[in-house]
Order: sequence, then C-alpha cells, then structure tokens
Amino acid sequence: MSALDPNIAGQLAEDLSPDVFRMIIATFEEDLTRLVKELETAVLTGDQDGYERAAHSLAGASAAVGAVGLERESRIAMDHRQPEPAATVLPRLLTEAKAALEALHDLIN
Amino acid sequence: MAARILLVEDTPTQAEIAKAMLREFGHEIRHAETGAEALAAAVEWQPDAILVDLVLPDFSGMELMRRLKAARIEAACIVLTAHGSVNTAVEAMREGATDFILKPYTAARLRVTLDNALEKRQLRQALDAAQTQLGRARFHGFIGASPAMQAVYRTIESVAGSRATVFVTGESGTGKELVAEALHQASSRSGKPFIALNCGAIPRDLLESELFGHVKGAFTGATDNRLGAARAADGGTLFLDEIGEMPAEMQVKLLRFVQTGSVTPLGGTRPETVDVRLVCATHRDILAEVQAGRFREDLYYRLYVVPVVLPALRARGEDVLLIARHLLAIYAREEGKDFSGFDAEAEAAIRAYPWPGNVRQVQNALRNAVVLHAGPLVTRAMLPGLLLHEAAPARVLPQAPPSGLPSGPPLGIEPLAVSERRLILAALEHTGQDVPRAAALLEINPSTIYRKLTAWK
Repeated sequence: MSALDPNIAGQLAEDLSPDVFRMIIATFEEDLTRLVKELETAVLTGDQDGYERAAHSLAGASAAVGAVGLERESRIAMDHRQPEPAATVLPRLLTEAKAALEALHDLIN
Repeated sequence: MAARILLVEDTPTQAEIAKAMLREFGHEIRHAETGAEALAAAVEWQPDAILVDLVLPDFSGMELMRRLKAARIEAACIVLTAHGSVNTAVEAMREGATDFILKPYTAARLRVTLDNALEKRQLRQALDAAQTQLGRARFHGFIGASPAMQAVYRTIESVAGSRATVFVTGESGTGKELVAEALHQASSRSGKPFIALNCGAIPRDLLESELFGHVKGAFTGATDNRLGAARAADGGTLFLDEIGEMPAEMQVKLLRFVQTGSVTPLGGTRPETVDVRLVCATHRDILAEVQAGRFREDLYYRLYVVPVVLPALRARGEDVLLIARHLLAIYAREEGKDFSGFDAEAEAAIRAYPWPGNVRQVQNALRNAVVLHAGPLVTRAMLPGLLLHEAAPARVLPQAPPSGLPSGPPLGIEPLAVSERRLILAALEHTGQDVPRAAALLEINPSTIYRKLTAWK
C-alpha cells in the first residue's frame, strides 16, 4: 500500500508551484522530526496528554500532505480508547513516517 | 476580491499550505498559532475572514468564535476541521461560523468557500449600511423614519466631527434644539458642556450678560461675577436658539465673538479666549430677515455655514404616528394610565391633521388625552377637538329666544371668560401652540396664557 494518497499529494503538487511545494515538504519534515521527538519524550515521561497532543498534530500535518499511512497511525496514537500501547504503535508510526518522506521526496523529484 | 484573512492554525505544515493558497488568491494574510494570538490580531487588524482550526493549544476554535463574537468582530469565520460530522458543523454554525471546510482541502475548495463567505459578508455589510441609512426610526433624541429625517440624520453625522457652525431652521416645534444636542452628543465635545440660550426669551438688557457674563459691580444688581453662556460652554457646544430675535446691538457683539473667539464679560477689561462650537436656530426665514435689515448680513454669513432644515411634521409622512406612539407610552407611564396605543380612527385622525405646531402640538394633544381619559386605547373621541376638524368650525351664534320667554343677551354677546378662552385658543392654534408668539399677538404676558391653560384643565 502506498504511503501517500495520490489524490491529495498530487493535487497539492498541482495547486502549488514547485518551489512552494518543496518548502511545504521541508516544513512537514521539520514538523515530523519535532513531533516524533515529542511523542518519544511523552512515552518516556508517561505524559499521556502530551503524547495525544503530539499525535493529533502529526495526524493533521500528515493528512495535509496526503501521508495516509502516517495519518492512520497518528490517529491510533491520539485515541486513548484504543487498546494498543505506545510501544506497539510508535514503531509502526516511525516506519510510516519514513515511507511518507521517501514518497514525498520522490514526488518532488 | 482581495481581502484580509486571519489564519488560525497551530500546525506549521497545515499553516504553510493554507498561506501558500491564500497568497495565490491575492489575499493579505496574518497567521496566529493560538486562540489568544488570534483574538488580539482580530481586534487590532479587523480581518474580513478568519480561518479557524478547531483544536488550538490554549482554547478551542469554538471558544475562539465565542470570544470573537463577544469582542464584536464581524469577520466571516470559516472552521477548518478534520471531523466532518453534522454535530461539529451545527455547533460551529451556532457559534457564528459562516461555513466549514474539511481537512485536507484543495485550493479550489478553499477558494470557493472563502469567496462565498466574503461575498455573503459584503452583502450583509451593504444591507446593514442601507438599513442604517434608510431605516433609522430613532436618532439621538429624534423619532422618525421618513426620508426627510434620514437626510437630517446624515447631515448631523457628517458635520458632528467638524467645528463648523450649524444653522438650524424649521417651524416651531420641529426639534431644533434636538439637532444641537445630537450634534453635541455625536461630536468629540460630548464630554464637555452643552449650553442652550434662547435669545428670544431673555430681555434685551440681560442678553449680553447671559451670553458673555459680567463682573461684580458691572451694573446695578451685579452682586457677583457671572460666567455667561459662552464661557460656560468652553470646550463644548453653545446653542443660540431664536437667534433671529437677537437685538441689533447684540448682533455686533456676537459677530465680534465669532470672529475673534474671545469674550469680554460685561464690566470686564480683558478678553478671554473661548473654544465653543456654535449652533444657531430660528423659526424665521433668516435670509428674509437679512433682506429686511433686521439681521446683520456679515453675521449671517458667519453663522450660516452648514444649514440644517428641519421638515415640518406634516411633511414627514408616518413619522407622526411613530412619535405619537412613543409619546403615548411615556405619558401613560408618567400619569399611571393603561393606554397601550390608538384605535384605527384615532390613528387616522392623527395622520390626517396637519399639526401646525409640529411635535410640540402632538405632545400637548396627547398629554391632554392621557390626563383626561382612561382605557387601553386612545380613541378618536379622546383627541382634542382641533384634530377632529381640520378647519375650525364656524361658531354658532346663539339664536333669538322664542317669544314670550325672558329676553337673552343680544346677538354676539357672550361671557367675557368665554371670549377670552376662545381668543387665546385661536391665537395658540394660529401660532402652532407657540405660547410666546401667541402672547405677543394678544399683547399679553406669556405667563397669563400658561396660567389660564392650567386653570382650564
């Protein structure tokens, strides 16, 4: 399954000029780095609110660029009613993040 | 259309996408990452539209819309949400959102939603402006929605901020002092005094002292310093009513005051600078007074800067009913009566009568009806007789008594009190219920008329 929804990511690439699209992907990458760090810190410190807040932001950012797999894992992470522990969700989320970035870079190039 | 758009979004990726799209549309953009930042920016920048993310770091987008509404921010709010549930949409609309957009969105979706919201807002603003311009039924102390009064309101609003002298003309009872008060209230001088002086009601010997003040000992009886209206109004507004009655010698002194902006109190030696906005009024045709040589031409040109012509009540259409209903509510409350309105016949009579005494006459007629009668509605029969017969009915002279009965008074002779009452009422009707003018016609003191009216109640 592709890491990106071609409709969303493709439309974005079409709506924006290449320079702006590249800047958006760079911003997404910065968001991703920061929010993953916040998620990991929240897991280590047992900060459930911080964990859900970071997951919510990551879900929004990934949805905006069409990173559907990362969005899905982020929404699982932000939902405190789901049964999976962070230790299970986080590695999956990181894998999706990596795949999304690679797919976006492919789109730029 | 280029507009001011405030974007409220805390996730940089989403914010950058939205900003890039908005820039492409040609809008001016500001970005806030928190609800508090958004509120401050909205107050300071007054955007046309606000794109609101529902989840913000400090408080929710719904709460932000509540606070924007409380701060009277009239921008079109569009909610950005990942949750497209009906409940979210309904709640957003209830909090004042114009529309909502599901995230992620395309540039086309954002453009259509934003353009619709901006167009709707523009139409609402145009409608509000039109309603304000055309449909105001109240303006400061005025009651009236007629086109003639809307023009008066617009003039007052236009000149209120200026220092220009305003010259109000209109028949007695049309509300000339209300114009002066409205000008004062709508101006930056509203925190300072509003002083009204009726030049026609003050004996000519006292007018200078009343207007410019006097120093102790200036004349017999001047036992203290007196400030005078001009200095009392310093920083505010000085309303000179019935300026057409001002004696020629005072007109010279007023001209000097208008030219120099300074006054010298009677008996004083040093002129004092006074900052007043002058509003003058007369019921006379002031230009005719100038042509007849009774009013100085140079003073006329100094004072007649911004004319405001108050229409007679008979030229204001349905305003007379608005005024009558307003007054009836006041008088019923004051007199402890239950009147809540007029019946259809009474309204027709009020509409049909030309009201030569204008609003003042309406006041008198309704006070009379409320005091003398009771009931839920004022009926036609409760209104003063004047209203029921536009032209005064011919007086029926007493008939000669049948033969064989004691002889009555000769034809046309009636008790003196009856004649007196008839003449006073006729004079009042002729002058539109203007007591001083009626008194002048009858060559009696106005207080005599007031005394008689009180006795006849």
